[in-house]
Amino acid sequence: MKKNNNLDKITRKEAIQKMGKYAALTAVGTFVILNPLKAQSSSPPDPGGDPFA
Amino acid sequence: MFGEHWVFWYAISNSYSIIEPEFKLLLESYLESYTKAEFLDTISSHMNVSDGTLISETLFNYLKDSNKPYTLPNETSVVLDTSLRNISKQYTFEGKTIQIYYDSELVLKTVHPTLAYYCIESTNATLATFDIYLKNNDLFLFKDEHLISRVSKHKYHLIQGKFIMQLLCTLHDKEESDWIGTFHGSTITNGSSSILFVGESGKGKSTLCALLAANGFDLLADDVSPMLSKDKHIYYNPSAISIKEGAFNLLQPLVTNFESLPIIKFNKTKGDIKYIPCLRPEEDHYPCNAIILVNYKPKSKIKLEQVSVKTILETIIPDSWLSPNPKHAQQFLDWLTELKMYQLTYSDTKNVLAEISKLFKQLNSKF
Repeated sequence: MKKNNNLDKITRKEAIQKMGKYAALTAVGTFVILNPLKAQSSSPPDPGGDPFA
Repeated sequence: MFGEHWVFWYAISNSYSIIEPEFKLLLESYLESYTKAEFLDTISSHMNVSDGTLISETLFNYLKDSNKPYTLPNETSVVLDTSLRNISKQYTFEGKTIQIYYDSELVLKTVHPTLAYYCIESTNATLATFDIYLKNNDLFLFKDEHLISRVSKHKYHLIQGKFIMQLLCTLHDKEESDWIGTFHGSTITNGSSSILFVGESGKGKSTLCALLAANGFDLLADDVSPMLSKDKHIYYNPSAISIKEGAFNLLQPLVTNFESLPIIKFNKTKGDIKYIPCLRPEEDHYPCNAIILVNYKPKSKIKLEQVSVKTILETIIPDSWLSPNPKHAQQFLDWLTELKMYQLTYSDTKNVLAEISKLFKQLNSKF
């Protein structure tokens, strides 16, 4: 099992090196984190349209 | 994996992240390393230490943000104030009757207009009794005298959402924990399957659904489209379609009796609203095989094009409630793998009807 992990690691290292510096620096900034609402909601009011204001 | 993207779900935060294969490679290498030095050694044979450190810090912050614990505010116990039962209404949905008490005309406008067509005095036994009232600047929602939600009055859309959830549970005989989520979007069925229409406010999803509902399709849900865990189907939401003033002229010649529908004034910036009641579909629920990002653009040529999972998730997740239950998150991801994802740009109503009919036919032949 350990042997396989090591092999994975080597392949990964090679793949990262193939990627190159600029691709790695660009890639690290490409993620998106999305959080769903914590409670059910209908369409939220547009700014300034609050009938309870 | 979806096309070029990976979608990860983090149980602790109930957050979804969309990443590219190169990012995944760096992340796996980071997680595999026992120390920062080991990670820097893996990546930095071809880059300087400061670039390597920047990558390492970005990955650390990504993991920190993805692992922020999911917490819900503690609801304190509140006793129902029955002295605020100033307005009483009953609503009957296919023989199932519910009772709602409101404290004022203003609070009544949060829920009543969308269900007004079901408001009939009935001698049926009520399945559930709701109380919605404003007290000390908070809106309260009770079901059978138990507090369901308490929010600041400015967040009235959360009371609307919670009420719809409880109404769906009552009508479909389910618990809140039975649902995968409620998507912010409208769903149309052709009697075999359904398509979920999503998009930013003002991009024409409700208008398009009203058009489709007036031309041979059935509205399954407007604004809040609920998906059940048991079968991953979208279920019927009886709320009428809400149409903003800007679409009145377009729909007037196309929707029967549009002119006689009452105008509701509630939200100042949304302007006048009309609620179009729709016929109930034959079944209560349908599988959903496609999602369409609606983009109404005046004078544009019709275009239905496939879009990435990233585009779709960036649109639906921040505006939808998704259950934090790991089983439900897995089901949501499984559903995404089977789903066709499109963006529809349109301006002309005739062409759009033909395009959606064609798509339904294609989808039905595949599933």
